[in-house]
Amino acid sequence: MTSACLRETVPAEVQILLVGIGGQGIQLIGKTLALAATTEGKHAMLAADYGGEMRGGPSNASVVIGAAPLRSLPILPSAGAAIVANHKFTGPVPERLRQGGLLLVNSSIVDGNAGRGTHRVVEVPATALAAELKAPQSAGFVLLGAFNRLTGLVADEQLVAAMTSLLPPYRAQHAATNAEALAVGAAAVAEQEVLS
Amino acid sequence: MNVAAPSVPQPQPQLQLLEGATAIAESAILAGCRFFAGYPMSPFTPLLEHMSRALPAAGGVCINVESEIEGVNMALGAGATGARAATGSCGQGIALMQEAVAEAALNETPMVVFNMARNQQDYFQSTRGGGWGDYRTITLAPKDVPEAVEHTQLLFHLSQLHRAPTVLYGDPLLAQTRVGVHLRKIDFGELPPQDWALDGTRSGTGKSRQIWTWAMGKATDPGLGPDGHWQQIAAKFDRIAETEQRSESRYAEDCDTLVVAFGSAAKFVEYVVEELRDEGHRIGWFRPITLWPFPGPALAAATRGVRRVLVFELNAGQMIDDVRQYADDRDAIRFIGGVSIHESGLSFGPLLDAPEIRARILAASAADSPTRSRP
Repeated sequence: MTSACLRETVPAEVQILLVGIGGQGIQLIGKTLALAATTEGKHAMLAADYGGEMRGGPSNASVVIGAAPLRSLPILPSAGAAIVANHKFTGPVPERLRQGGLLLVNSSIVDGNAGRGTHRVVEVPATALAAELKAPQSAGFVLLGAFNRLTGLVADEQLVAAMTSLLPPYRAQHAATNAEALAVGAAAVAEQEVLS
Repeated sequence: MNVAAPSVPQPQPQLQLLEGATAIAESAILAGCRFFAGYPMSPFTPLLEHMSRALPAAGGVCINVESEIEGVNMALGAGATGARAATGSCGQGIALMQEAVAEAALNETPMVVFNMARNQQDYFQSTRGGGWGDYRTITLAPKDVPEAVEHTQLLFHLSQLHRAPTVLYGDPLLAQTRVGVHLRKIDFGELPPQDWALDGTRSGTGKSRQIWTWAMGKATDPGLGPDGHWQQIAAKFDRIAETEQRSESRYAEDCDTLVVAFGSAAKFVEYVVEELRDEGHRIGWFRPITLWPFPGPALAAATRGVRRVLVFELNAGQMIDDVRQYADDRDAIRFIGGVSIHESGLSFGPLLDAPEIRARILAASAADSPTRSRP
């Protein structure tokens, strides 16, 4: 990695890394964000990277959102923001999150000190908040709700609509709790400065 | 770029966030594909899965066959009736299909073969063919999903226009990345009438049509026979080689170093070259869009006076053979690619990454001591 690769080469495009472990919903929140942006008429790209395991293995994704056809690569050399849901697999984040980039961490699991000094670290105890909702599987949506509140990338109702449409029929009963999780995540960072 | 634009302006459809395989399947249906047969194999499987859902709804037929050999021969049979037919797999499965692809080329049956390859090691397979006889397959290598959508429709058009099998060279990134795309039918112009199709219209007239690789004809209506027929086929592929070359390049007229790459790898190279350009490096890129016919004259022009021609491909060196045929100065060519496979065996390895490509370009540029200067 060279320093040149860490600079903002495509400022018009928002590049986000999402990392966690299989079962945390990383792929679903990536799809939700990309679909919500597309529904708003923005250009979006979602590239997933995960193994054959249903649960427990590394599960990474990247989302790019822009106003014009995208130039970003499906394997991002660098990104301006990251959501880290689990400490076990931080994936490309330490190497590829640009200096000053937003690092949103699930502080129930991840030690937020890791990125301090180089990144704008925001901690959200997503697993604990999801447990309070009696829906531990919705921790990913807590993080996504917080992320969207911090970045203002898409309208909240678009996130809810996208999430609802992406759930398979046998998971449809979780739509209401997931929507609640998005709202809880947004509320958790309500005092934080919104990024321009 | 030499890809025909739609002749009539159309309203821009809504963006849809689609997985690449889904976008390609939907584009094939827009192109009129009504028959698809394939056997699941990663990363081709999602294309087959989507076809199995969407094609019947569009009035077509999709068959999950017992083997790749069965799938390609079904597509050959469907294509012979005049239907727009296709099959696909990854390179390993397409290796099994080569006999039928050769038959289609030599008996002039249109069909499209989707190679959702696991990497870039199928360049020889796509451009040289693994069957028998004198034939080639028109092969398009899109750099991203929106271009794959366009290429899919172009391949059906070219297949019908030239009565020949055509190949889409895809890969795991093209199959699996979700991107917002505008799906629309593209008009590439008029096609000749299908006066060769075995569509039953001559039944009982004594003038039934034949599609036969050896073109021997019937006792009452002798054909050209293999000698005359295959000479015609060879002449047709010579014409295609002249007329269907497609390529794209940037900064070739103002660079010391030109990087040649195809498919997804070319998108990464383009990104890195733009970055290096911003930093003051005299560098450019060249991308063959058709792997066959290889855009040789365009490459010869782009490499004229260039000090270094760097070839980046994710294999042990296959396209470099074509670059050597056409580059203005063969001594200027350096290989900076290599074999790089994900540990699963199903996808690209770590070499397909902008920082790695950047490092290789810079290392190759520093290693040699150029003796040539631009005229």
